[in-house]
Amino acid sequence: MRKGIFKTGLLVLALVAALTPVYWMITISLKIERDQFAYPPKWFSFTPTIQHYYEAFVTRSFGQYLLTSAIVAVVSTACALVIGTLAAYALTRFQLPYNLDRKLSLWILSTRMFPAIVTAVPLFLMMRDLRLLNTRASLIVVYTAFNLPFVVWMMRGFFAEVPRDLEEAALVDGDSRLGALVRVVLPLVAPGLAATAVFCLIVSWNEFLFALVLTQTDAAMTLPVGIAGRVTQYEIKWGVMSAAGAVAMIPILVFALAMQRYLVRGLSLGAVKG
Amino acid sequence: MPRSKRFFSALNRRELLLPYVLVAPALAVLLALSIYPLFYSIAISLQQETASGIVWTLAHFKRLATDNFFLTAMVHTFVYAVAALTCEFVLGLALALLLNQQMRGRAVFRASLLVPMMLPTVVVGIVWRLLLNPNFGAINGTLKQLGVNTESLTWTASPRLAFVAVIAVDVWQWTPFVFLVLLAGLQAIPQEPYEAALIDGSSRWQTFRHVTLPLLKPAILIVLLLRTMDLLRVFDQIFILTEGGPGFATELISLYIYRTAFRFSDFGYAAAMSFVLLALTNIVSLGYLRLLRDEKRNF
Amino acid sequence: MSIRFLNVSKTFGESKVVDDLSLEIADGEFVVLLGPSGCGKTTTLRMLAGLETITSGDIYIGDQRINDVPTQRRDLAMVFQSYALYPHMSIAENIAYPLRVRKLGRDERQNRVARVAKSLEIESLLDRKPRQLSGGERQRVALARAIVREPRAYLMDEPLSNLDARLRVQMRGELKRLQHQLGTTTIYVTHDQAEAMTLASRVAVMKKGRLQQFDTPLNIYNHPANRFVAEFVGSPSMNFIDGQIERGVFVSEEIKLPVMRGDGSVSLGIRPEHVHVFTQPQDGAIPARVYVTELMGNETFVFLTIGTHRLIARAPADFRAEVESTVWLRLETDKAHFFEKAKSTDYAE
Repeated sequence: MRKGIFKTGLLVLALVAALTPVYWMITISLKIERDQFAYPPKWFSFTPTIQHYYEAFVTRSFGQYLLTSAIVAVVSTACALVIGTLAAYALTRFQLPYNLDRKLSLWILSTRMFPAIVTAVPLFLMMRDLRLLNTRASLIVVYTAFNLPFVVWMMRGFFAEVPRDLEEAALVDGDSRLGALVRVVLPLVAPGLAATAVFCLIVSWNEFLFALVLTQTDAAMTLPVGIAGRVTQYEIKWGVMSAAGAVAMIPILVFALAMQRYLVRGLSLGAVKG
Repeated sequence: MPRSKRFFSALNRRELLLPYVLVAPALAVLLALSIYPLFYSIAISLQQETASGIVWTLAHFKRLATDNFFLTAMVHTFVYAVAALTCEFVLGLALALLLNQQMRGRAVFRASLLVPMMLPTVVVGIVWRLLLNPNFGAINGTLKQLGVNTESLTWTASPRLAFVAVIAVDVWQWTPFVFLVLLAGLQAIPQEPYEAALIDGSSRWQTFRHVTLPLLKPAILIVLLLRTMDLLRVFDQIFILTEGGPGFATELISLYIYRTAFRFSDFGYAAAMSFVLLALTNIVSLGYLRLLRDEKRNF
Repeated sequence: MSIRFLNVSKTFGESKVVDDLSLEIADGEFVVLLGPSGCGKTTTLRMLAGLETITSGDIYIGDQRINDVPTQRRDLAMVFQSYALYPHMSIAENIAYPLRVRKLGRDERQNRVARVAKSLEIESLLDRKPRQLSGGERQRVALARAIVREPRAYLMDEPLSNLDARLRVQMRGELKRLQHQLGTTTIYVTHDQAEAMTLASRVAVMKKGRLQQFDTPLNIYNHPANRFVAEFVGSPSMNFIDGQIERGVFVSEEIKLPVMRGDGSVSLGIRPEHVHVFTQPQDGAIPARVYVTELMGNETFVFLTIGTHRLIARAPADFRAEVESTVWLRLETDKAHFFEKAKSTDYAE
């Protein structure tokens, strides 16, 4: 009995530790400035205001940053999914000479291991030469490349779980290879596809370094960069920052909740099945 | 049958090209945006612009050896990685072991624990800047309420405290990840070995050492590998939280490279440092992967 | 459609899984490929289906050489050991799939599916998903999917092996009836010799990739081509006694039997039903010791030892004998088979 209480207590403690900081930020976004700086810290006893949200998204350009983040995330995820899934299918089902399929998969995965800064510097120079700095296109392209290894690796795992029998039956029944892929295999990996898509969306949405390096102007800035830009400069308007931060969090939390069944698997690159 | 059951066997002449066609777009994208930049980077790391044009030189690499900033940044990164990894691993493992059981509301619990690691790193930075603000941050405020003298707790303004703070933030953000992966690993261990150990009369510590740990090894290795990779290349949170400050106190290698490239426009030198960082992460990951491979072979 | 294998071989890396196989299968025949696991029977079937490439040799369906024809165009239907039902589709959609792929109209598809479902008595299952069905039901769905197309031939890869014993026997009968009604050429792979004997018009016995005998079940049973076939077919399996024939008498330890054969070193093979057991001594009977008896209900299996030899005999249901007691045997030597021991692997009669 005592053990049960101890464990529950521990659980609660962990939850509090995880969520309190976030809660605090949300309260800042809802407090008037005087309450923000109050001592003792006001955890619950304040009158909320939405002025910061208004200022962030209507007066200032955070609305535009939000839109840019959304567009870049969705388009790059879609591209990565299509390109990556086809490659994953080929690498799972077809045996290439000299174990190429295995080597390619590992090589693709290894590109995920690069520190971002290593490719950020040359990409900046490349984009500058191509005059693609400060464009959404450059971000979309880079994020697609960024997400591709993950898509290939995850989808390989999901494809491997579909028994080969089913595709063979489809072939004998008269379907073409690609027809079998679309009609028989894809419906079966649909949950995995969705989970992978969500992961890519989350990663793209949260991404900071490449966006920071490749976009400097309002037109192309993503939400994280927009938020950061204000923090590192002169006067810090915490209310506005927190409001933007709170909004930036929302899609993530929604997605994470929806996909939490596959979460552990995705985060550990398929090594551990949650 | 001496061939893998996974693969398709029959490929007519026409179909032989199909796998290559399917893989080509992915390869093209990666070559253009991951591999080519690497070579570009290596190229500029070996070049220098002089009065008479561009020359090939090892000057940047030579500079590395004497650049105190670089060496300090590397030390910072190493200390940071080891400290954060240790805390995260110990905490995560302890939590996983203690909470390894069926519990009600697991989905809610898991989802809540996810929050720290799912947040955009920028938001994490903001959250903690707010908390750590010496004057109106909740941490100092709460400590003051409890009677602690917070005069000297100027978190982000004092070099040593800033370093600790930065590590603490990472631990806050990523311990849930370690916990979740290790928990999943624990729950994947079948009951039988435990039952056999019980019948054989082994103590709790013995069971832990000889049953739990070995079977948990793959999950542990993966978690350590992923966290190490992430810790070595950390950038975002530090950038927002302290910008590498105060002074140079929390300057980690990624930040130093960033600064060299984008504040001082010294791209060649930045590229040389990137190369070293890449080599380092490769060596580390290869080490882990080899350990993993040996693990898999034992099964 | 007739099907011909001409010197077909299949090699995987170093090992030759199918070795120079030649078979002529007439239109409408039910041919069973029988053999132990690893003998190449499934690989042969898959080569015919187009799921494996043919290393050498030719396969003809009718007059068409199909070596290079892709799987989807061979117009064959296959029932897999695992049934391979599409899990995300309903039963009706599963059965309709081959028609859908051939771009048949929806009404036509529905008609055919309904017709086939009726003949296999699975109409009530049409809206369910495969995971809701029992093993036997899934098997019938797999059959339905094969039949609905009216293909040139049916290929079946151990379709009954995942069913429990009772269901297996029941489905065997239904399969046979079905094939008889449809009249389509069928190639069936199994390691179960009872299935082969009951279903086939002709059986091809294979061992390590090589064809051992291709004949009607009755001929294979009564006139096995070699010792492997003799031992593989028939349950309980044939008894073997090694010995010498000298001047018309087969001698092996205490056994002496007059036989109509020349001298030589042979293995005598005799089926259990040709070994008669008596509890009382008989003229010319051989004494033996009872090892154990198995009461099957309709008959009794008697396991015997004579010196170092072990034999099985089939006795009437009321036969009783104590373990280690002595009984007397009479062997029907005119029904015995003789296998030379000259070669180390295959024996020839």
